[in-house]
Amino acid sequence: MSIRFRGLKLLGFVTSAYLLGAWIEPDKTAHAFMAGAKIFGELLLIFPLIILITALIDYRFDAKTFARHLGEESGAKGWALALGAGVLSHGPMYAWYPMFEEIRAHGVRYGLMAAFFYARSIKIPMLPIMIDYFGAPFTAILTLYILLAAWAQGWIIERFCGQCDGEFKGKS
Amino acid sequence: MSPQKPKRFKASLKKASLQFLGLMPMILSVVGLIGLFQGFVSQEALASLFTGNPWIDTLIGTLAGAVAVGQAMVSYILGGELLEQGISLYAVTAFVLAWVTLGLVQLPLEAEVLGLRFTVWRNLLALLFTILTAVATVATLELLS
Repeated sequence: MSIRFRGLKLLGFVTSAYLLGAWIEPDKTAHAFMAGAKIFGELLLIFPLIILITALIDYRFDAKTFARHLGEESGAKGWALALGAGVLSHGPMYAWYPMFEEIRAHGVRYGLMAAFFYARSIKIPMLPIMIDYFGAPFTAILTLYILLAAWAQGWIIERFCGQCDGEFKGKS
Repeated sequence: MSPQKPKRFKASLKKASLQFLGLMPMILSVVGLIGLFQGFVSQEALASLFTGNPWIDTLIGTLAGAVAVGQAMVSYILGGELLEQGISLYAVTAFVLAWVTLGLVQLPLEAEVLGLRFTVWRNLLALLFTILTAVATVATLELLS
């Protein structure tokens, strides 16, 4: 089993942007580098967890189990699981993409993934702060509409993005 | 536990680790882009984009939130300041919602992992629903008050 590195061109582009920035605006670029390094340092703490969960999914669940809970046969239970998981999840989305590649390979519906992504905008630990800034009625209405919007997006994707599956490269 | 299980889990762990390492250039790129955004685009610059027209500002708020990156709390603070400056609640709601639901810098990674077609569909729908949700939230709030 070998590593297939993905995104090397983009990394080259970003590195070039930093080098150009260091030449034109050294102070701002140093600030940008430190900000990026701080974010990466925080991510290092959750990387082992992501690898562990991805490995557990591969080890513990087969495609049949996933199909029952989050696949074509999952129905309303699938929507509830996707929305609930989205609300409860935290941390930056991009860090979790490797895990999504794994669960997609297990047959999770694209609509459920779309619903999960949008439901992530409800941040339970942040709700008191949102209430403080915008009020309880605003927060309650927004939260309700976010859940509806998350479900609606998933539903639309399932109906109209039939060829999404054709795009998925899957893992080797 | 059967004697084969530890060996299988070890294989799954190795596979997951290699898969993760393979995506590391993409993750580093996204983190690098977020750093560049935070280093070069100030909160004041974002706030200066708004015009005072509620409808244009709602669109600007959505697009600014889609480009902006950072903790959700920063968007609340910035949203609070925008409200104090007289920017409409429609625009501020769109801005706060787009901040957490849309992410321009992570698009390459999402497309690489989940496919370009799904990424385009999902993000266009998220953009549309962010505007709709913002408008519906404030309209409902006004209706109830």
